[in-house]
Amino acid sequence: MARHGISITAAHHPPAACSAAPRAVAAAVAALLATAPLMAQVDLGTEEQRAAGKVVYDKYCGQCHGDDGDGNGYATLRVKPKPRDFTTGKYKFRTTPNGMLPTDDDLRRAIEVGLPYTSMPGWPNLTSAEIDNVIYYIKSFSPDFENPDRYGEPIDIPPPLESTEESISRGRVVYEEQGCASCHGEVGRGDGPSAPTLVNDKGDPIKIADLTQRWTYRGGPTKEDIYRTFSTGLNGTPMPSYADSLEVEDRQHLVNYVYSLGDGDDPGYGTLITAVHAEEPIDLQNGEALDALFADAPMTRFPLVGQISEPGRNFYPSVTSIEAQAVYNRDEIAFRVRWNDLRADTTGRNSPSIDVPMWDEDNGIGGDAEDGAEDAADSGDFFGDFGGEEAPAAAEDDFFGGGGDDDFFGGGDDGDDFFGGGGGGDDFFGGGDAGSGGAEFSDAVALQFPASLAPEDTPQLKPYFLFGDSQNPVDLWFVNLTYGVADTFRGRGSDQIEPTEADIVEAVTSYDQGEWTVTYKRRRSSRAGVSFAEQQYTPIAFSVWDGFNRERGNKRALSSWFYVYTEPSVQQAATLPVLRAAFLVLAIELLVVFLVHRRARQRAAGADTAADAVAAAGAPAV
Amino acid sequence: MDGFNLPLLLALTAGGAVLVWRRANTLTWLLFSWAALWAFFKFGFTVPMPQSVATIYLGITTLALVCYASASRERLAEVTSPIVRLIREPRYRLPLAALLVALPALAAYNVHADMNVPLEAPGFGREVHPSPPATMEVHGETLDMATADNPYIHLHEDDPAAYEEHLENGRRVYYENCFWCHGDGMGGDGMFAHGLNPVPSNFNDSGTLPILQASFVHWRIALGAPGLPAGGTPWDSAMPAWEKFLTTEEMWDVNLFIYDFNGFEPRALGQH
Repeated sequence: MARHGISITAAHHPPAACSAAPRAVAAAVAALLATAPLMAQVDLGTEEQRAAGKVVYDKYCGQCHGDDGDGNGYATLRVKPKPRDFTTGKYKFRTTPNGMLPTDDDLRRAIEVGLPYTSMPGWPNLTSAEIDNVIYYIKSFSPDFENPDRYGEPIDIPPPLESTEESISRGRVVYEEQGCASCHGEVGRGDGPSAPTLVNDKGDPIKIADLTQRWTYRGGPTKEDIYRTFSTGLNGTPMPSYADSLEVEDRQHLVNYVYSLGDGDDPGYGTLITAVHAEEPIDLQNGEALDALFADAPMTRFPLVGQISEPGRNFYPSVTSIEAQAVYNRDEIAFRVRWNDLRADTTGRNSPSIDVPMWDEDNGIGGDAEDGAEDAADSGDFFGDFGGEEAPAAAEDDFFGGGGDDDFFGGGDDGDDFFGGGGGGDDFFGGGDAGSGGAEFSDAVALQFPASLAPEDTPQLKPYFLFGDSQNPVDLWFVNLTYGVADTFRGRGSDQIEPTEADIVEAVTSYDQGEWTVTYKRRRSSRAGVSFAEQQYTPIAFSVWDGFNRERGNKRALSSWFYVYTEPSVQQAATLPVLRAAFLVLAIELLVVFLVHRRARQRAAGADTAADAVAAAGAPAV
Repeated sequence: MDGFNLPLLLALTAGGAVLVWRRANTLTWLLFSWAALWAFFKFGFTVPMPQSVATIYLGITTLALVCYASASRERLAEVTSPIVRLIREPRYRLPLAALLVALPALAAYNVHADMNVPLEAPGFGREVHPSPPATMEVHGETLDMATADNPYIHLHEDDPAAYEEHLENGRRVYYENCFWCHGDGMGGDGMFAHGLNPVPSNFNDSGTLPILQASFVHWRIALGAPGLPAGGTPWDSAMPAWEKFLTTEEMWDVNLFIYDFNGFEPRALGQH
């Protein structure tokens, strides 16, 4: 049985055929009404097309989706969400009604465009014929594609309604009535109370869409895409179809509301923070004054990716971007960072120097079996960490639900064990911590600066962006969000991180509707670390840890080096130079006009006749 | 015509043709030549010319045009007479006033735009393929970069079945470790690539793998960013030193695989 091909799938027909009589009648009626169009949709291609599709599939698709189409490829263990299992015939992004198979065009779109912020890229290099063939081959993995009953007509997607205030507020009402917030959160940041517990029908934990970041929508960022998702649901996930429960118009209002939650189709990633000058003192304890200070500071969004260069590799970081601002006055500089997190984890421990095993999530699978066994034994995810530094009592607490029934019903621990492959376990979004009300690791954030600026002759020189190197250390302004205070560390490499007391960094933190805000403050000048002089470009990098995703130590989301520019405190206003340029040009013009007139007058006076002057000055040019 | 902005060149040529047809005067020709060169330097190339170079070229051109215009008394008169008429003749009073206002406004706008250029992070040059060292040490073993070759490449001829196994192992290694950055299709466009600077290498590019010896690629894989010389800005690159994670065999296997996937062959030994 080499492939789940046509011969096998035919065997699935008999059970369907011997279903009850009413269904047969219904089927007959349906057949009378719609046999022709439905049958026309069953297009499995020719033997040659599927064979050609297999060649494409084996080269480009099998490593994730599995050579047998079962979603089990080499990469599967280390990507979240998991690659589609084509044998199930379930597809999330379709134009067809809930539970139905996708159209060929739906599959084509997924292949051409990909799914943003997942491991499924678009494949613009494939030709149209190659995509056709690979679609035929993919369909051969599931018997459903032979069953005409599983085909549905694509839904109608009406043109979007104008996004008026009434429409948006009606959409908000629908959002509340339908309970969208219980998963997607009050303002759509994906932080609803149920968000940490969500799994798909295979039991894999899934991350809910953050409605405020449209560029991460798997199914596309347009209003049509959003409408389609409401109307078809995402098969195999808790996202239902509202085709039956909501009128078309209400769905359109909901589209306008959801659309209004985001601020663009594009993240607009930047490379520079401009620190603006303020006269006022920076008082971290006065929230209103602080907000006012930052209100005028430009905000820049930076991309975050998983740390995968050093042991403790993080293949699926929770947080994919962070926004940052900076303000300074005569003596001090303040940074504010914000990012979205589905839950505030403020009970556990965290630090940049916590040891993470070499193959944290991958024990026994993919990596060396030996490595896996070792990790499971000494510091695997689950038992290992508790057995290590924590008191045994703590381990019991968590494991047996000492923290209350919470733990047990949350299904978190079960999830971890159950889906966790071998030993260490697979704990993406939930795993051990889902629903337990308290994570083992807390959320945390760090700003990273070089400990000293590059010498002038080698301005490009920076410390290694992964926590520095032995020659060029970095300073980390680390905040464990359990405590909400800043600790400073000096990093000389990922395994050489030590606390320092050289500079006093203060911080205040808050978590509101799925968004963390951390504001730091330090004196601008420092003898031990970097000083922030005016008009200086200072390298800066970020790290974010999501405790819920069991991120700690080197297992984190990080950025590469960017810069903060300290804008001059005395800004040269543009008015003066602009006026100067205008008047200078005007003066030259008037001078020319004056000279021309004078010369003409002189000639008129000097020459015998005016005719001569005209001849000299105004000779026809053509 | 690769590297040039074709529509612009066509538009300029058309402009010239119109001037010939209308038998434009010398002044118009001079103004047109200057504007055309300005547009050509600024927008004519697909890869923008550095501002300073464009300024130098334009400066020289301006000088040349002035020399041309003032080469003889007659030509100077020919060039200046339309200007004099514009200033002197009452019927041009309105156009003259417009010009007197427009030029200072243009200058003012230019200064304003110059002062409001959005700030950018400083950029630095970087050697994309820095010179490798003469020898390298991987897992305690010293390799001579000039003579080292993939120990499994000969299997291609000698034992195709074993070669396939090494390729398959390389495929496993690649999709367990590399594609986050270098991409599923090896275009240097993996799901983490947008967050990295420098961007990961694009192995589809015929200017990358084919010009490198297998030993060079092995050096980059085994020692990664930390093994780069300063010119390669090792502090910015996210390329791990894979000897920490992979066996020597796995590294040579993935080396085989990335060449095979893209249909390239390494540059032969001793070929410079």
